Amino acid sequence: MVALPNRVLQDHDETTFMRPVSNCAGCGDTKVSWSVLEGMKRFNREHELKGKNRYQVVYAADRGCGNLQGYHAYHIVDTIFCMGSGVIVGEGLKESCSEKQIVVTASGDGGYNFNISGFKFAAKNKKWGAITIVYNNYNIRMTGGQIPLEVDFDKEGKAMGFEVLHINPYHVDDNAELFKELMGRYLNKEKTMVVADGVCVVDMAKDTKAVGLNLGHFVKSDECLDLKFKEERERVASEEPEKLKDLPRFKCRLCGIGLRCHALLNNDPTLCFGCGACKQFPCPVGALSFEGPSFADSTRIPELLTMYRV
Amino acid sequence: MNKGTNLNLGRVRLSGNQAVARGALEAGVRLATGYPGAPISDLQGSFEQLAGNLRRASPFAIKVGEALDNANYQLTAHWGTTTNEDNAFALALGAVICKGDFKSREFLTEDEWDLVYGDTVFSEDEEKRVPVGSRVMCSFKHLGGNTAADAIRVAVNVVPYTGGLGIASGDDRQGTASQTMQDNKVLFSSHFRIPTFELHSPLTAHQTVKNCYRLFEELGTPFAVIMNYDLSYREVSVDLAMEVDLGANMRQKGFTRDPKHLVTIGPHIRPRENKFHSKLIPLFRKKIGEYFDFLGNKVQQLGERPRTLLLLNGPFREDFQLLRHDPTLKDRLLKKFGGNVAVETTVVFPQPESLYKKLLSKLSIDRIFVFEEGYGRVIYLQLLDLVNRHGLDAKVFDCGIPYEPRIYERFSYIDHILAE
Repeated sequence: MVALPNRVLQDHDETTFMRPVSNCAGCGDTKVSWSVLEGMKRFNREHELKGKNRYQVVYAADRGCGNLQGYHAYHIVDTIFCMGSGVIVGEGLKESCSEKQIVVTASGDGGYNFNISGFKFAAKNKKWGAITIVYNNYNIRMTGGQIPLEVDFDKEGKAMGFEVLHINPYHVDDNAELFKELMGRYLNKEKTMVVADGVCVVDMAKDTKAVGLNLGHFVKSDECLDLKFKEERERVASEEPEKLKDLPRFKCRLCGIGLRCHALLNNDPTLCFGCGACKQFPCPVGALSFEGPSFADSTRIPELLTMYRV
Repeated sequence: MNKGTNLNLGRVRLSGNQAVARGALEAGVRLATGYPGAPISDLQGSFEQLAGNLRRASPFAIKVGEALDNANYQLTAHWGTTTNEDNAFALALGAVICKGDFKSREFLTEDEWDLVYGDTVFSEDEEKRVPVGSRVMCSFKHLGGNTAADAIRVAVNVVPYTGGLGIASGDDRQGTASQTMQDNKVLFSSHFRIPTFELHSPLTAHQTVKNCYRLFEELGTPFAVIMNYDLSYREVSVDLAMEVDLGANMRQKGFTRDPKHLVTIGPHIRPRENKFHSKLIPLFRKKIGEYFDFLGNKVQQLGERPRTLLLLNGPFREDFQLLRHDPTLKDRLLKKFGGNVAVETTVVFPQPESLYKKLLSKLSIDRIFVFEEGYGRVIYLQLLDLVNRHGLDAKVFDCGIPYEPRIYERFSYIDHILAE
């Protein structure tokens, strides 16, 4: 008998380069992630919970670019498994996580259609509360413009047993307040489905452009700490270049980092997609405003047209 | 931590399904999920009754349920409510990845612990303890494995967080209640490549299930136990003496963040997939060899100067025990095979290669006969691969049958083994 060589798999280094994550500047999913985290913080603050008494979010997500951003950009996402499994994995997590952990699940509307029975299970499971977020990009934005399966979240969600709440993902402060309230309701075993309508700003911006509506952009006033510091850096660069290395690269980028927005980070309004999330961002010196139409006004394009183009 | 409680519940009739439920309960399983379908509905029905979702009707559920209630045993069961097997498995997956507690190492050396847990958030633990949480069982019929395949494959990618997860598969290889006669040994062994066992008797199934939880929880991998149609339903009378691991049942709950493992994206799963195939499966193989007896397997020599190895799995193994009661059968066996070594095994995958290599070299064995049920020929192919890869001077014979005969066929496994 011929002896065949012993085939052993060799160790390989990871050969795929880790791409820098380039989130779309106005991504609505990312804004909702911010609001969830902020809502949890505010809940703990309101109830004066500190240290081990604080509640934590466990975030069970579905597959999709929005949740990948939630992982990469906000480090909020804890699990991503199969398409459509986020909500049911979340129910499993509730069985074994501690009583100080609040499980929030997030799916796209594709994931919702994929596993509506998982949502039904979450609604009917009397043992736990539920906060299920659905990123509604109308099912046509990401994978290849497929024909969407029509969803009436209000009717379907209510029929399953959820209270259905629609949010504008770009109202980041209002949404943080909402999630703060929902954390308390979760602990009272209430079931809520939060539908974030219009989360894909890139695609919606194309649609607004097609009907002749140009979205606005953010404006930073002279009070902006980062802009002031930028001037200082430029002065040092030209007058005392040897001291430049001792200066930090920026002074305050709370808005850009908080909203994971390239346009704000670079102080460049030409990169702005016009989502309008910065309208509600709590700038410490009140230097941030928005000029012109934005999706914070409405994520429904006909409504935007009525508001801005008469 | 290991808080064992002994329950002596007297004589009861126990089916194969109930024997698996017994094993899971003795292991301290806290969550049982599944989706019904013959032949395994009885297993999930038992959990539903024990968890209080259904009225306790069977003597097994009544007796065991009362005893577990008195011991404050925690059990949650979700059966048909998950709507399908994929959701049942995803529910189990969510529960098992929460590692809120630790246990001392029982089976792993320090180096092996480093291999299994060295790249997790627990790697800094100085005592090299095993992170643990709820033990979970998910069960479905053979075709359910297809429905749950998406989630099961992901469970392999998040090893070692899936330690403590047992899958019970009821195989309808008779085609009695199903549209196909699928052999799930292929699915769990060749496709998912998780430790897979075929149970053979309601008398011993519980011990195999319980010890699989103990060993594979520490190895961080899910495992699968498979029963054929006959075993699922067949009842035996037993003196029900249960040793329940209440410590495992009452572990501290809690989710520990480790997105590098639990967020399954390309850069995370590629190195894990590589590690699973090249390092962890060899470790499982080694451990199954080391704990061969512990997992309920037996090696015995029959006759002088053995030149033949018999591998007996599933129903062949059960019928082989008739030799103990009937000397004429043993005579027939020796006449047919001469002196031999009989390996009565539940192991389907991965086969303990070092054990076989040792037997072959020590005893000059040159013929291996593999008796297994199902078209997959999973054990036969692994033995053939072993012999070829190592250039061993032995022939491997496939003596299995491709499906499970129905009762009216009057098929005898022992006659098949002894046939001239």
